[in-house]
Amino acid sequence: MGSLFSSLTIAVGALQAEQGALNVTSNNVANVNTPGYARQRAVFHEGVPVELPPLVFGTGVVFGQPQSVRDDILELRLHEETQQQGQFDAEVQQLQQAQTGFQGTNDVGTQLTNFFNSLNKLSADPSSQPLRQGFLTAAGNLASSFQTTARSLEIQRTNIDQSVVQSVSQINTLTQQIAGQNQQIAALENVHEDAGVLISQRTESIRQLSQLIDVRVVPNESSISLTTANGALLVASSQSFALSAQVSPSGVQHIFSQGNDITGKLSGGSLNGLITVRDQSIPGLLNQLDTLAAGLSTTLNGIHRAGFDLNGAAGGDLFTPPPVGVTGAASSISVAITDPSLVAASSDGSPGSNGNAAALYNVRGQAVANGQNPFDYYASVVFNVGNGVATAQTESQASGQILQQLTDQRNSISAVSLDEEGANLLRYQNAYQAAAKVITTINELTQAAVNLGTY
Amino acid sequence: MRVNPNPIADILASIALDQQTQETALAQLASGRRVNLPSDDPAAAATLSLNHAQASQDDQFLQVISGVSARLQVADSTIGSVVSSLDRAISLGIEGGGGATLSNANRSAIVTELQGLQQQILGLANTSFQGSYIFAGTASTAAPFSANPASPSGVSYAGNTGTNTLAVGQSFSVTVNLPGSQLFSGTGGDVFQSLQDLIVAVQNNTGIDTAVLGLRKAFDVVTTQRVFYGNVLQQLDAQQTSINSEKLQLARQENAVGGADPAAAASAAVSAATARTAALQAATSLLNTSLFNFLK
Repeated sequence: MGSLFSSLTIAVGALQAEQGALNVTSNNVANVNTPGYARQRAVFHEGVPVELPPLVFGTGVVFGQPQSVRDDILELRLHEETQQQGQFDAEVQQLQQAQTGFQGTNDVGTQLTNFFNSLNKLSADPSSQPLRQGFLTAAGNLASSFQTTARSLEIQRTNIDQSVVQSVSQINTLTQQIAGQNQQIAALENVHEDAGVLISQRTESIRQLSQLIDVRVVPNESSISLTTANGALLVASSQSFALSAQVSPSGVQHIFSQGNDITGKLSGGSLNGLITVRDQSIPGLLNQLDTLAAGLSTTLNGIHRAGFDLNGAAGGDLFTPPPVGVTGAASSISVAITDPSLVAASSDGSPGSNGNAAALYNVRGQAVANGQNPFDYYASVVFNVGNGVATAQTESQASGQILQQLTDQRNSISAVSLDEEGANLLRYQNAYQAAAKVITTINELTQAAVNLGTY
Repeated sequence: MRVNPNPIADILASIALDQQTQETALAQLASGRRVNLPSDDPAAAATLSLNHAQASQDDQFLQVISGVSARLQVADSTIGSVVSSLDRAISLGIEGGGGATLSNANRSAIVTELQGLQQQILGLANTSFQGSYIFAGTASTAAPFSANPASPSGVSYAGNTGTNTLAVGQSFSVTVNLPGSQLFSGTGGDVFQSLQDLIVAVQNNTGIDTAVLGLRKAFDVVTTQRVFYGNVLQQLDAQQTSINSEKLQLARQENAVGGADPAAAASAAVSAATARTAALQAATSLLNTSLFNFLK
């Protein structure tokens, strides 16, 4: 049978439960803008009833462990898409920078046109010193446009290399942090306490790590491990494994995990975007510039040597010969002669002959690089540059949209809604007030019961 | 289904997208160009690179055509003067062939005038244009003809037989000079030799008719060769017209490939601005709504 005191106990339990719920609400409201925070839900259980046959009495409410509302699978999917986004964003940013050398009024294409135009001018009056000087100036401008474009790509490559080292140290900081969080979570879970808030923090750390590198989350018995998609271990429970960056024989930073070179084995994250641009995109562009510079200077030199200068002597090289194997041709090309009278415009040894200038001019339509004439080849380089940026942009946009949708989904499950918290606040407030009223009432009844004897 | 309680990121993304569309459209309107970076349209950027190279070459061809035309016109009018001098020499020869009616004094006056014409033609044959001798072949830095008493014709030629060709179109070149040897001592008639022959004939009063005949042949050679200049000038004129129309085509292509469509850009700018304003208004009202505003 129930008693006033058992009712009082129930009411006190209710007060405590509502206080706990208010605590959860307050915590949710406080963390409304915390990145990665998953809202918590107050959990109420009905107390175990007391049986006094034939009656059964309720024993009030029990405040359970608050639960974090989170979809773990969705979080994993978010990590993966964040890795894609990280890679494409890094690529777009770097490639946009690289393409600036291929537009404007001082690019290789413009200087190629100016060079051949100056040859055409020279053909009209081959013995003119000003026109010869004009031709050498145009040749110098062409060489320096090759150099500027190639060197700025090389500088960009060096800068990317520094970013790679920075990314590695950021990754190491994060994996260390995650190992620490794993330890704290395990400690709480061992004593059966809720680690929801810590798990939120860890999820946010993994999301930050995902922007940098391709992380796979492997749950194990009591914790999680992190590896790269290729299997290089980053975190095992409470232990982190640092990556290291070392200069490789090719002169760029390679990334090592426990002694293994994993540079070419990454598949996502901004680190992989940087490495892709550093090791593929920029060397590809440099190679195309080198091919053009080498093909052009070799062909022009051959023709120039077959002609005669203003003094009737056989011509020499017009440009410094490209290095063997083409690599570095664009960044090292320069004009080999400075004296305008050494320009071999003549094909018969007489100063007024333009035969060799005309032959040099005809190179504009000859196959000098990959079977293409210089203008067509340069146009294909421009296409490749633009296409690289445009493709990365499209991929980044697509990945950005997916990420946005996933974030929406994640937020619809885990984000704190202030409206919801406001409503909960009212509910818990009302329930608290009601429980308090119950206590007041029981108090009055108890007073009444005590006073029964005084009359 | 629970709704995403935090739509700010979505709203900001869509506002940013509208803003980007608006800025792109405005940039297109301001520059008149749709392709400003290779990544804007890679294929168009490649086409434009070729288009600009060709347009710039065309400008160069037009310059070179006007320069070389001036030189060819000088050559043509010089040969015109040579022709009238030869014409006068032939008249003098016919006059000198008048037989016994002509006094020795008259004949010597004719000889003097013929010698003057000889000097004049020698001067014309050494005409230079902007420092280069136009009848010297490719040895154009030195005067090609000089008086030389040791030579049978009284003149010797130091030029060569070289010719220059000049590109004046993507795949079109013209020869731009005639060597003096071909012009003044070509097959079938030698100007200086036949003039010298006529002077000797008039001086000796014998064989004048034969000498006049020789001079006529030289005259024919010169007038025949002169056609070359007329032809080249005509070709250059035609080429100029064709390059100008090609430039027009290139300008059209540039606009079609890389030019902005002002109407489309303007309407895109306006609709993006409208969308942006709407999104901003929606955001303001949405972000201001909270249950907490009503819990007083």
